Amino acid sequence: MTTPQLRDHPAPAPAAPVRTGGHLRIGSALALPVRRISVVVALVLLVLTVLGAVATLSLGRLGIPLDELPGAVFGSAEGKNRFVLGRLRGPRLVTGIGAGAALGLSGALFQSVTRNPLGSPDVIGLASGAGAGAAFFALFLPGSPVWLGALLGAALAMAVVYVSTGTGFRNPGRLVVAGIGVAALATAFTQYVVYAVERDNATALTAYINGSLAARSWDHAVTIGLVLLVAAPLTALVSRRLEMGEMGDELAAGLGAEPRSTKTWAVLLSIVLSAGAVSVAGPIAFISLTAPQIARRLTRGTGPHLFLSALTGALLLVLADLAAQQVPWFDNLPVGIYTMAIGGLYLGYLLTREWRKGNL
Amino acid sequence: MATTTVARPSGAGTSRAGTARRVSALLAGVAVLALAMAASVMFGSRTTPLGDVLDVLAGHGDPYVTSVIESRYPRTVLGVLAGVCLAVAGTLMQGISRNPLADPGMLGINAGASASVVTATAFLGATSGAETVWWALPGAILAGVAVYAIGAAGSRSGGLVRLVLAGAVLSAVLYAYIQAVTLSLPKVFDSYRYWVVGALAGRDMEVFWAVLPFAVAGLLVALPLAPGLNSLALGDESASSLGANPAVIRAAGLLSATVLSAAATAAVGPIAFVGLAVPHVVRAVVGVDFRLQLVFSALLGPALLLLADVVGRLVLRPQELMVGVVTAFLGAPALLYAVRRMKGTS
Repeated sequence: MTTPQLRDHPAPAPAAPVRTGGHLRIGSALALPVRRISVVVALVLLVLTVLGAVATLSLGRLGIPLDELPGAVFGSAEGKNRFVLGRLRGPRLVTGIGAGAALGLSGALFQSVTRNPLGSPDVIGLASGAGAGAAFFALFLPGSPVWLGALLGAALAMAVVYVSTGTGFRNPGRLVVAGIGVAALATAFTQYVVYAVERDNATALTAYINGSLAARSWDHAVTIGLVLLVAAPLTALVSRRLEMGEMGDELAAGLGAEPRSTKTWAVLLSIVLSAGAVSVAGPIAFISLTAPQIARRLTRGTGPHLFLSALTGALLLVLADLAAQQVPWFDNLPVGIYTMAIGGLYLGYLLTREWRKGNL
Repeated sequence: MATTTVARPSGAGTSRAGTARRVSALLAGVAVLALAMAASVMFGSRTTPLGDVLDVLAGHGDPYVTSVIESRYPRTVLGVLAGVCLAVAGTLMQGISRNPLADPGMLGINAGASASVVTATAFLGATSGAETVWWALPGAILAGVAVYAIGAAGSRSGGLVRLVLAGAVLSAVLYAYIQAVTLSLPKVFDSYRYWVVGALAGRDMEVFWAVLPFAVAGLLVALPLAPGLNSLALGDESASSLGANPAVIRAAGLLSATVLSAAATAAVGPIAFVGLAVPHVVRAVVGVDFRLQLVFSALLGPALLLLADVVGRLVLRPQELMVGVVTAFLGAPALLYAVRRMKGTS
């Protein structure tokens, strides 16, 4: 449904009538509409993430003492500190931040397209598909780029879901059930691949199925950094159109944001971001489900909250990985098990809430 | 959901042609199961010719072949038992909830049984395979009740998607718990690794005898329910006017399905999608009469499970792939097919 006479007169670009609050001015040319609460929430999330990062680097027997930390990070680290920062925890931390941000973004994009919290990459099989692809490339085709496998796996999983619902991504009920089926299929495939190659390596199996940040190198951190570098600007471009889309397809079309192409772009970006995160950390569960929802609740606003979702995702994964490294009794569990437990409970809460409102 | 499958009144359709068709379908079902059982005994890391197998059964086989067969047959027997339980449980659940997606694996029952067994092994010192049955059962029942309580709470429209989601949530949380415990306690991990992934391998007849009473009890409750399920398919009001009590039928069916799934899970670990896929195939073959559906499920369920097990032995020869992985491969497409045929749930 397009309304040509309206498209000839697009709404003036800076106007954002639904928003209240000030503008973020960069020079005199650029004024971004920003709600004050979003800025506060972003700052709080940022501070918490930094605190989580400091704790990650300094806690435990091998931790870098707090008074030596600034010197080690900003100056040069020596001896044990150098090893811990450069090899042991530094790459792991940066990879976690990047993967968390990518997952948060990816979830926000997809949830915005499906207009449903359950239409999130980890519920509908995208992450499992990426995990299966990554496992296949890593184990059957050694030397091949793992991210390519993750990308192909994710795309294939989404194609299967799209086709098997018969209604695309529109009907949340069908989407979720088809996604659960595709996720089961992808997980079975991953199990097959891992068993075929690393039969008696149980840790490898759980890492490939649950996602893990153990033993990351700077290569992983660079990979996810590049993915974010490419995808984030595109995401920012698509973000405004998505916001219009949340007001309804027809209104968005009237404002000049063709809903079909907007959604296609958002889904593609979501796949790329998820695949990037999975290729460096495995299919970590429920970050992309929970991060956008938490961001939305914190600001009590509408819209996809892409930037805040990314921050929330990074914070969640840093905290989960901190738990994975420091919780005493469960020695070095893959971080995906923590996110699965906590995210699963959150999903349960979300479901009962949606049901009360009669949305599903 | 049930509007697509309107049951015939139980008296109808007993024409001579219909009877002939059913008898031939029944024979075909028996033949398929027999083939699957034969394949299950014949194939392994080395293939044993059927003639040798028959010699052993007749009591005068080569001693080496005899020992090979002896190591394989508990697997076949357990596969039959678990397959019957899972398929009948799936048929019951799909009939009761009028939900083509109901499956003990998807509704959290498998995860409940697994979590319970892992808890017992890790903290309460349960060891033997037979003992685990007693732990799997309460876990399965608790999980089943929880999923139904969450999924059906305040439901106006049957709650199809809700049940599946509630099952997914519960499974995710329990799975995380299972992983946390098994990875932290290597001893538990070793003894329950195969159990948790679902495999017919490495189990003995002791497990079979321990599980058998539960399976038989579940089946004894299930089979008499068939006429009731037929009238239930017409809707609660019609069922009541036909003299059936919908509440009683549902409760008995759920109880039976839970006990059957718990028995199967206790015996061979959590195996998904057999209970989902088999009823769909059965409906396509014999139609909507639950009396026939239950019987055919009991034939095709074990056939599917055994064939999946054989496939698992052959694809990674001389190693093996767990049967649970193979059934997910075979069953998930059935799920996707069912989704395509779902009617307007939103």
